[in-house]
Amino acid sequence: MSSPNGLVCFTNCLLPQEDGSLIAKDLWIDERTGLILDPNETFFGKKLRPGRTVDLSGDVLSPGFLDIQINGAYGFDFSVYENNDDDYREGMQMMAEKIIETGVTSLLPTIITQEKSFYPKLLQLLRPFSTPKSATLLGWHAEGPFLEYTKRGAHAPPYLVEAPKGFNSFEEVYGKENLIGHKEWYQSQDIAIRMITAAPELPGVLDALQTLTDRGIVVSIGHSNAQTDIAMAAVKRGAKLITHLFNAMPQFHHRDPSIVGLLGASPFFNAPIPFPLAYVHCDPKHTIELQGGTSPTSPSSKNATYFVPGSGNVTPGSPIQTGTQSGLDPVGRVVFERPFYGIIVDGIHCHPNSVRLAYSAHPNGCILITDAMKILDPNLKDGIHEWRDGKRFVKEGERLYLEGTNTLAGSVVTLDKCVRNFATFTGCSLGEAIKCVTYNPARCLGIEHIKGTLRPGAHADLVVLDRYGCVKSTWIRGNHVWSSNSIVHG
Amino acid sequence: MRLIIREDPESVGEYIANYVCKRINDFNPSPERPFVLGLPTGSSPVPTYKALINLVKTGRLSFRNVITFNMDEYVGLPRDHPESYHSFMFRELFSHVDIPPENVNILDGNADDLVSECNDYERRIKQYGGVELFLAGIGEDGHIAFNEPGSSLTSRTRIKTLAYGTILANARFFNNDISAVPHMALTVGVQTVLDSREVVVVVTGQRKALAIAKAIEEGVNHLWTLSALQMHPWALIVVDEDATLELHVKTVKYFKSIEQVQEEVEKNQAELKKKKHAAVNGIN
Repeated sequence: MSSPNGLVCFTNCLLPQEDGSLIAKDLWIDERTGLILDPNETFFGKKLRPGRTVDLSGDVLSPGFLDIQINGAYGFDFSVYENNDDDYREGMQMMAEKIIETGVTSLLPTIITQEKSFYPKLLQLLRPFSTPKSATLLGWHAEGPFLEYTKRGAHAPPYLVEAPKGFNSFEEVYGKENLIGHKEWYQSQDIAIRMITAAPELPGVLDALQTLTDRGIVVSIGHSNAQTDIAMAAVKRGAKLITHLFNAMPQFHHRDPSIVGLLGASPFFNAPIPFPLAYVHCDPKHTIELQGGTSPTSPSSKNATYFVPGSGNVTPGSPIQTGTQSGLDPVGRVVFERPFYGIIVDGIHCHPNSVRLAYSAHPNGCILITDAMKILDPNLKDGIHEWRDGKRFVKEGERLYLEGTNTLAGSVVTLDKCVRNFATFTGCSLGEAIKCVTYNPARCLGIEHIKGTLRPGAHADLVVLDRYGCVKSTWIRGNHVWSSNSIVHG
Repeated sequence: MRLIIREDPESVGEYIANYVCKRINDFNPSPERPFVLGLPTGSSPVPTYKALINLVKTGRLSFRNVITFNMDEYVGLPRDHPESYHSFMFRELFSHVDIPPENVNILDGNADDLVSECNDYERRIKQYGGVELFLAGIGEDGHIAFNEPGSSLTSRTRIKTLAYGTILANARFFNNDISAVPHMALTVGVQTVLDSREVVVVVTGQRKALAIAKAIEEGVNHLWTLSALQMHPWALIVVDEDATLELHVKTVKYFKSIEQVQEEVEKNQAELKKKKHAAVNGIN
């Protein structure tokens, strides 16, 4: 089945674009390097064309999905370590190889609040990992222990801590060696992601944010009671994400919208004159400087600068870095970039109406997550299942409770199901739903040049979906490794 | 010169694609004796390319032994720019058909030495024994390739400055920013086109109607370079109804009648050939 020259052309397919559209176009990949090709350069520069063509008969060819919050699956739990590295690694591999049937080709192993002494060990084991047939484990996502007690959800109360010594407290918990600088942590790997979910209102957490961010660690706001001012401050200090929006955080209140309210924050904080001449797209990257205009309201009107979207010498939507999260725009206004938000779209953790409300407010920040527990397995039956520390789950369809309570304990939904749910709940297109499990999460992690897109040079981790969003086959690094009809060998 | 009139751009594209397909298949090209095809860019030939792709996908045509020469390319625009003619040709035709990349020739607008790039292009065309069929489109001002009004009718491949009208017309492809439109191009000359054994021109839309009238009903004129086709022994212009709006009724009727006669002649010729072939093989 391999191509004589290693080049493969996918044809008769729809490719999801970074703007959420789907367009009929071919995709060229190199199955030997496992990378997506620049077809123009391949044809005119290298004088090559693919030796093999795969006709997808009108299906969607998507970048493989990214799940940035998943606790385990197929019986393996990232949070359970039983003093045996080999068992743990075996579990990681088994899980990573099976999960591809749900369209997931990259995931961020998430560990829930642990007894303090477990962290250094677990985080060392969760170095990036992949096999030629598995999804890529991107690193780790530590959900806790810096969480607010009243919003702890299923996290074990005795292990929750505060950060009285700021960043040092984080080092004490996670281990100094796991919070080292970005470059040292990366070593020679393409990708190595570290993420921490913390409650910014806990003493010391806000102080540690800058250092964590500087070291390339993604900080997510979650399991928190933060009021609006603290939530805004956390974003200004580098928090990039909200963990499972609506869950384990205050309800939306219009006078103090708290964490949920971040989705409505204006790009321009201190809102000085001049006001935009036209509607400003909420993403400040989409604003363009127009020099030399005059403003009737500005006293120094001669050199006033206006922000007018969609004109000037820059294409709207092109990646122009005019400001950072707490940066200044060209006229000195504070630019506030709203955080991304993970959202569980199983129809249980958030009502469909809430999903649509969030998506309408901030479509470009939307990231679908499963927050799945170890018993995620599309073939598992309902009933009581062992979890950890003597606790047990009750699984009822896609609902998962702690036994004897009505506390939701993560989910058992698959990410491809989330995509289909999301399109139903919000009325968006399949392409727009796909964007929320590919481009958006990749952008949140800053890896959109490698994962989650179809850019030349990106990994050829691909998922073939039918028009209903059901996974038909999965490709890892340019090789066909799973198909809904039968397992592919070789 | 013949003028074929079809209802709309799609029918024009179908007609030309079938025509080109027949010519290539009758030529029976081989690696030793490839079919050399000249190709244009722009919006007019897109329906033709779509129809050609369909012929390839349904197995009725192959580009395996076809050598292509494109008419022109912008100067200084990166090859992978979406508006470069490399990108256009790849997107609209080459990526969908079985043409080997080494069979494709497009002028390099980023060459260090643009003059020798042009001279080399002419040399390469000659090496292949000249162009068998040049497919062309025109601009509103009647320019063929980038041979703007005022170009010499004996011109060869060279550097050209684009006319203001062409830059304005192309600005829509560059975010309506006139300064972003390249102002120079490399293009085959009028003589390069005339040297090919056959020329087929696709012209659609009301905006091109004046150019068609000038080129067909008036004399050979370097301000409407398409008119140079009047000097070519085997030229065919295929237009849609909209592009005939500036022509005299008389002209349109005349060419429509030619089409019928032409069809009969071709049919007779084909039958004669068949008979001759059968006689040679002693089958009768």
